[in-house]
Order: sequence, then structure tokens, then C-alpha cells
Amino acid sequence: MNVTINRLAPLVLGVVLLAGCAKPPAEQIDAAEKALKEAQMSGAATYTAQEYAKLEASLAAMKKEVTDQDGKFALFRDYGKAEQLAASAKADAERVKADAVKKKEEAKAGALQAQRVAQEAVKSAVDLVASAPVGKDRAALEAIKNDVEALKASLNQIQLAIDKEDYPAAQTQAKAINDKSQAVSAELQNALAKVGKGKPSAPKKK
Amino acid sequence: MATFSVRNGLIALVQGSFLAGALSACVQAIPPELVSAIETIDQQLVALKAPEIAPEEYARFVRQWVPLRARVQSDDDLVRWPWETNDLETELRRLHEEGGSTLAKIHGERQAQQQRAQLKVLRVEERLRALSTQIDAIDGRIVLGGKPVQTDLLVKQARSFYEQHDYQRSIEAADRAGKALQVQSALLARELGRYADEQHISGWQAIAQQTINWSRIHRSTAIVVSKAERVLTLYKNGSKVVSYPVRLGFNGIREKQFQGDGATPEGRYHITDKRGAGRTQFYRALVLDYPNQDDRRRFAQGKKVGRIPVVKQIGGQIEIHGVENELMAQTLGCVMLDNAQMSALFERVEPGTPVSIVGALTGRNAVAMALAKLGDHEEET
Repeated sequence: MNVTINRLAPLVLGVVLLAGCAKPPAEQIDAAEKALKEAQMSGAATYTAQEYAKLEASLAAMKKEVTDQDGKFALFRDYGKAEQLAASAKADAERVKADAVKKKEEAKAGALQAQRVAQEAVKSAVDLVASAPVGKDRAALEAIKNDVEALKASLNQIQLAIDKEDYPAAQTQAKAINDKSQAVSAELQNALAKVGKGKPSAPKKK
Repeated sequence: MATFSVRNGLIALVQGSFLAGALSACVQAIPPELVSAIETIDQQLVALKAPEIAPEEYARFVRQWVPLRARVQSDDDLVRWPWETNDLETELRRLHEEGGSTLAKIHGERQAQQQRAQLKVLRVEERLRALSTQIDAIDGRIVLGGKPVQTDLLVKQARSFYEQHDYQRSIEAADRAGKALQVQSALLARELGRYADEQHISGWQAIAQQTINWSRIHRSTAIVVSKAERVLTLYKNGSKVVSYPVRLGFNGIREKQFQGDGATPEGRYHITDKRGAGRTQFYRALVLDYPNQDDRRRFAQGKKVGRIPVVKQIGGQIEIHGVENELMAQTLGCVMLDNAQMSALFERVEPGTPVSIVGALTGRNAVAMALAKLGDHEEET
């Protein structure tokens, strides 16, 4: 009997010591935090806001689990659950990042397409103004020229929004410019239809 | 032996009954309807765009919900004794209550924000319409340069963001549009305010009266043009003979500053030449002595104070003329009449006939009225 106890004692001690050496899964926690940061950098807070909020909550839960275990007597610490949470948060963060990147790319493509449409609409208006006969009702023509110049200048606002990666704003601005350009072109076409083609007059001093 | 068996049997029966009773008293750890109610709150918060419009509140909710849901999932198959306390259920009930309050709060805020956005967008659209109508009524669009388009784009964005349910951005765009409209109104008031200024109007009335008096004293004809009303009136012997509607330069409502600005000059002039058929491209033309001494003095002063760029010229060849081609009706600062009326006028005047061009003859002129309406609209909003 004594011999048995003597043989088992080191084994029991070893198990106890091993349990006492349990440490937080620092590597997995770092990896999960890094993945969260990358998700954030990819625009997850904007493009997948709901998923990102849950991801942050998962990381907070993981940290709480680590803190809870840290607070326990060394022999009773178990970081298994924290490790599991970290792995799960990392996987979720990678998925959220991929989703955010995809949605951001879609938003960017939408903004660029809207920008192209707006640019074409403004160009049509510019071409129409250029083709308008000098003799057209001058007050209206000058006003339309002002409008077209303002529309040309406003195209820059779309690019600024795209540069800031604010694609919803870029798309909305582009739509407004497109709508206004078409209205200006319609106004000009309407005026031209009334006026017909006239020959330019000789310049006069006024 | 038989006694032992009966006793054992009774004991077994009692134990079995107790176990069966105890088992039947066991309850599920978490009521599934509670979990599903919290899930519904989460979905409703997402539908309200809480992660975007109230990220802090939503984060507070999910920070509790995510770990609790994990616990629910891990404790899913467990049962407990009825007398056992269940802190998970307690926490879920607390979260349900808190989540419900958060949902109600965000829902209320969202509704208020939607109403605010709707009101702002409608107001700014109405103000833009009113401004455009008044500007068109006085041919003042050119005065504002590219500003009407910039404002229109902001109003369109405000409407577009509203339709996308992005009320915050809608409000921001509407506010910017509102400020842009104020700037436009202020610019119009600054550029055209003289049409509502009593001193200016008195001055113009005096000029017109002197011209009419000259006609009476000299028993001759004289012309008065009112820019605000776009009317040319012919006087003879101090009495009104006829009035004709006129068109002005493309920027005619303004006071002429320099060559090419499209403005029609204001002041006392005289007909210096009558150009009949073949001598003008505009059917008939009455050439005026613009620039006169007053114009030259104002031009020099404007350059001196930097109001007029140094490279600009004063211009000339201001005429009252007809239309060369109705399809090409054009004037860069002159006073233009329909040919039939131009023909009648041409026959009634001679070189030397005084022509006074004034901004307005009454305080209730078209431009002053338009400015007043814009002012009223500003106050309403």
C-alpha cells in the first residue's frame, strides 16, 4: 500500500503543478484582436455595422472570461473556454472583414458607376451649351452657362467623397448632379427647339 | 422472507414514486420564448439601423447579449430543480427589459429624426421653389451665378438621403441648403436692394420727372424706361403717349459697370443718331450717348476702389433697337422692342430726344416685391 502511494505521489503532484501552470492563451487573444482591428480597418463598422458590434461584444466576452479565470486561485484556472472564444472571435472577425471588403467594393463600384453617369450627363449639357446659337435669348443662355459651369465644378465633390471612401455620399451627389444636368439639358433643348438654328451675330460693343 | 420482499417492494415503490414526482417537477433552464423575445429585439434594433445610428446603445446591448446567448446555447439541454435559482434567466430577463427600453428609445428618436428630416426637406424645397419663382420673375438668375445649382444639388441630396432613410445626412444636407438659400437671398438683396431703397427710388423718380418736365417745357417728346417693370414710356408735351414692353441686356437688372457685363445703364441720355433700314442689324436703332459724363465718373471711381477690374473698358453703343431676327433676339445691354413698336417709336422721336433709364418708378416695383416676398419666406422658415 505504501509503495503504491509512493509511486502515485509524484504523478499527482505533476498533475497539480501542470494545472497550476495554466496561462491565458495570449497568442490566440492577440490573433483575435488583430483580426478585429483588420475588420475595423476594412470598414466593418460602416459596411457591416451589426456584425462588427457583435464581434466587439464577442471579444469583450473573451476578455471577461480571461479576467474571471485570472481572478481564480491558480490551481483552479482554466483558460480553455477563453481559448475557444478567441478562436471563434478570430474566425468571425475574418468573416466580417471579408463581408465588409465585399460590401465596400460594391459601394465603391456603385459610386464609380454613378460618377460616370453624372460625368456623361454634365458633358452632354456642356456640348449642348457649346452648340447653342449665340442669338438665343441671351439671359437664359448666360444663366444656363452658369448652371453648367456649376455642375462641372460640382463633379469634383463626387471625387472628393470617393477619395474619402464615403461612397454613399458620392453616389447621392452623383445622382443629384445627373438629375440636375438632365434638367438643364432639357431646358436648353426646349429653348433651342423654340429658337431654331440662328447665325451668330457680329460682336458689338455694349 | 416474504415479509422482507414486501418491505423491499414498498421501499422501491416509494423511491420510484418520489423520483417520478421529482422528475416531473423539473423545469427547463431557460424559457425559449424569453430567448426568442431578445432575438426579436436584436432584429428590431438592426432594422432601426441602431448599429449605425446609435452604435453605443447597440454595443451595450450586444455586449450583454453575445455572452448570454453563448451561455444559453451551452446550457440548452440542462434542466434544473424548481427550487434552484437561475442567474442566467435573471440576466436574460434584465437584458430583455433593458433591450426593450433601448428599442423604444431608439425607435422614438428615429421617428423624431425622421419627422425633423421630413420637415426640413419640405421647407427647403419650398424655399427653393419660392426663390426660383421670384428670381425668374425679375430675370435675376444671372445675378446669382452658379449658386442656384449648388443649392439645388444640396436640396436634391437632402431628399435623396431622406428616401434612403439616412435622416441624419438628410438633415445636414437640408441645413446646408438652407444656409445656401440665405446666402442667395442676401446676395440678391445686396445686388438689387436699391430697387427697394426709398432714396434710390426718389432719385429715379426725380430723373423721370425732370425728363417729363423737359418734354412739357420744350413741347417735345421724351422717353422714360423703367428697368424693374420692363416698360418704355413715350411722353409728348409732358403727357404720356404710349408704353411698350421692352427686353433688357442679359444682366439688365443690374447697374452697368463695364463693357460686356450685359447690364443696361441707368441715367439721363439723349438720342444721338437714328439708324434706319440698312444702317443697323436690329431693324431700327436709336443710338444713345452712353457713356455720358456721369457714367465715366462712376466707371473711374469703380476702378479706383477696385469694384471694376482695371482691364475692363466702359463699353458703348447702347441703343434702343428692334429685333434683327426674332429667333435670335439678343441684347447685351440695350433696350429692345418688338419691330412694330420700334417702328412706331422710331417715327416719333428725333436726335436730341432725352431718354432716361431708371431702375424703378415706384416702391412697389417688381424687383422690390420679389425681394419682399423672399424676406417673408425667410422669416416664415
